Amino acid sequence: MNVRVKLGVTVLAVALMSGTALAAGNDDFWAKAAEPYKGVVLHGVTESTPPSNYIKDVLAPEFEKKTGIKVDIETTSWDQMYDKAIKDMEAGTGIYDVVYIEQDIIYSYLARNFLTDITKALKDKPELKASTYDDAKFTSFANYFKQDGDLYGVPMEAFLKIYCYRKDLFNDPEIKAAFKKQTGHDLKPATTHEEYTEIADFFTKWGKDHNLQLWGSTAQAHTGHPASWYEFFESVAPTFGVYSWGIDASKNYAATVEHGGAMNSDKAKAALKWWLHLRDIAPPESAQSTWSEVATTFAAGRAAQGLVYGENAAWIETDTSKSKVTGQVGFALPTLSPGVMDDAKSGKGYVGYYDGGAFGLPVTSKNKEAALLFLEYIGQDEVQPGWAVAAPRITNTATFDAPEVKDMDVKLGGFYTMLKDEGKLFAGAPPYPFHAQVREATAPIFYDILTGKIGPDEGLDKMAAKAEEELTSLGYRK
Amino acid sequence: MKSNTFGWILLAPTIVVLFFFGVLPFLYVVYVSFHQWNPFAANPYMIYNGAGNFRQIVFDGAFLASLGVTVAFVFFAVLTEVIVGYLLAQAFMSDFPGKAFFRTIHTLPLIIAPIIVGSIWKLMTTPSIGIIPHLLQSSVGFDLNIGQSAAAAFIITIIMDVWHWTPLVTLTLIAALVSLPPDPFEQAQIDGAGKWQIFWHITLPMIAPAVMATVFIRLMDALRIVDEVLMLTGGGPGSATRYIGVHIFREVFPRTNYGYGSAISVVVLYLTIVACWLLYTGMLAPRKPRKS
Repeated sequence: MNVRVKLGVTVLAVALMSGTALAAGNDDFWAKAAEPYKGVVLHGVTESTPPSNYIKDVLAPEFEKKTGIKVDIETTSWDQMYDKAIKDMEAGTGIYDVVYIEQDIIYSYLARNFLTDITKALKDKPELKASTYDDAKFTSFANYFKQDGDLYGVPMEAFLKIYCYRKDLFNDPEIKAAFKKQTGHDLKPATTHEEYTEIADFFTKWGKDHNLQLWGSTAQAHTGHPASWYEFFESVAPTFGVYSWGIDASKNYAATVEHGGAMNSDKAKAALKWWLHLRDIAPPESAQSTWSEVATTFAAGRAAQGLVYGENAAWIETDTSKSKVTGQVGFALPTLSPGVMDDAKSGKGYVGYYDGGAFGLPVTSKNKEAALLFLEYIGQDEVQPGWAVAAPRITNTATFDAPEVKDMDVKLGGFYTMLKDEGKLFAGAPPYPFHAQVREATAPIFYDILTGKIGPDEGLDKMAAKAEEELTSLGYRK
Repeated sequence: MKSNTFGWILLAPTIVVLFFFGVLPFLYVVYVSFHQWNPFAANPYMIYNGAGNFRQIVFDGAFLASLGVTVAFVFFAVLTEVIVGYLLAQAFMSDFPGKAFFRTIHTLPLIIAPIIVGSIWKLMTTPSIGIIPHLLQSSVGFDLNIGQSAAAAFIITIIMDVWHWTPLVTLTLIAALVSLPPDPFEQAQIDGAGKWQIFWHITLPMIAPAVMATVFIRLMDALRIVDEVLMLTGGGPGSATRYIGVHIFREVFPRTNYGYGSAISVVVLYLTIVACWLLYTGMLAPRKPRKS
């Protein structure tokens, strides 16, 4: 054995031993830090999503094995999750030690002082601070869960709502030729709203002419569920330059154009008409589609393109037991009106919805220390790659470089790369503490627009006025 | 006196439970209904509002629309359930092959949780995957889309409720029919009364208390329907199926408008009591034997 080989073997051995020692060291930390809380049962409530199920099925049992602290995670529907968490924190019953905080509700929770300052809590109890946990390692998505620089929720999922298209259809020579003949343009993923509509119209007609169950676009257009409201205000309106639901906090929370808002602006009205046209040429189930049904429609091969929540990207592209279009999905940025990309780059606006959530620690929890340990555990770099592969979510910067994530990125056609490179162009919900209240006040009018009971122009005028009325009633608008 | 005390002792656990889980929450709802309270408002605490919430209800178009559509739903659903339930009860009174099997099968919807009933009907009515739109399209060329058609959504919610609750009506009426003495029927037949006359003058008056109890139960249940409808239509399309229970749910839970939502709940309770009283007066009181 020559010197170089000996040196190599020695380095490898040292590295392996260091790694093992580090892992053993980490295990020692969890066991030692958790010693006073052994036997504690933590209760958590979250929405039933792939990332949450991974926590329940993988991370919680792992944590229990290392610490002796049992974590009982309750995964339920979106509505129930909010209902249970808010009631618990409002009444101060202390049932839950961990609650899911969707990005759009964090401002309401902070306004009500529902959440524990995780940064401060760890500073106050240094014996609970794991060396493997560092909140500086989170992606910029963590900023949504910060107040005055302190973290109030450990990010556990983050996705983009992206433009998905069928590569097999877009690359089909017969379809390409027919599209060129009909429109005079080459068939390629759209970048403008006009291009998107042209493609959608073409494919709906193509499906009809060829007796196929194929339509030109998805539409999350349920006529009685907030999902449609969200699709419009968080995914469609911004691409026309209407940001933050068209409510301007700096102008006394104005929503109407008359008072300085944009909810009923010409841009908003143009956006709504564009989207309503797409709804009209989308698969018939769209009028009953929420976020998950849109993904199902796309996975069933019933739409040529559409806006789909990124949490579904992995299974649509790779899971043959659930998706008919595996290996055929392309991902791109949403289509935009002129000026929107400049707004996004300059920070004035955004191109689409950055969805996600975190796990927080209610101030009413009776097991704060044990819960802090659990939150640190799920926030470490080392648990992230497996989690990212199981559910396409990334919340830590280091996760992008993990080999298994890179492999998955290739399978997903660069979805993670888009999240890494273009994530900054997207934004979550605006920082309002009255999220559900304004939505619920205006949603009935929005549903009436969807059913054609009132027109889009009149409807948006009414919605903007109703939003201001609600904000006045809540005491935010003076 | 002794037996009275013993009776109260036996009743005490039930009274205590009812007090804490029935009376106290009700009193709290009444208390909250006189306040403006939204925990996500700029002022998240309860503010005494007098009768403000009740005044608002009178002019609240969304509430009145919801009430109107609820009354229509309750009328059609309960009426259909009583008629179909009676016909089925009569059918089960006679012997036919497989009677026991069919009687068991027809009660199965009763044991299904409302939220599951909503899910089942959603699956059955969703265009592209639902069996009902498929059959209607292939047989009569009708496109059923309860996400778009208000009338279709309204009718489907009634059919769903009838499917779910008719067995309860059937079972109650079977019990009533079985307990009827045979003599009056034999005498009526001897006197030459027809089937309709027997039904109207003998059967109906004799089973009226059971029908009344069933109608009360179904009326109260139908007025507070939430789970099935929330799952099936979400209250849509538009507000076509935003029945009062769904309206209260959306007002209280997602919108966290606790004060106003409580006031609506109190008003709906009052209206339910009034409806039951009117029904009782209208159906039973005229049949009371005259003293003279």
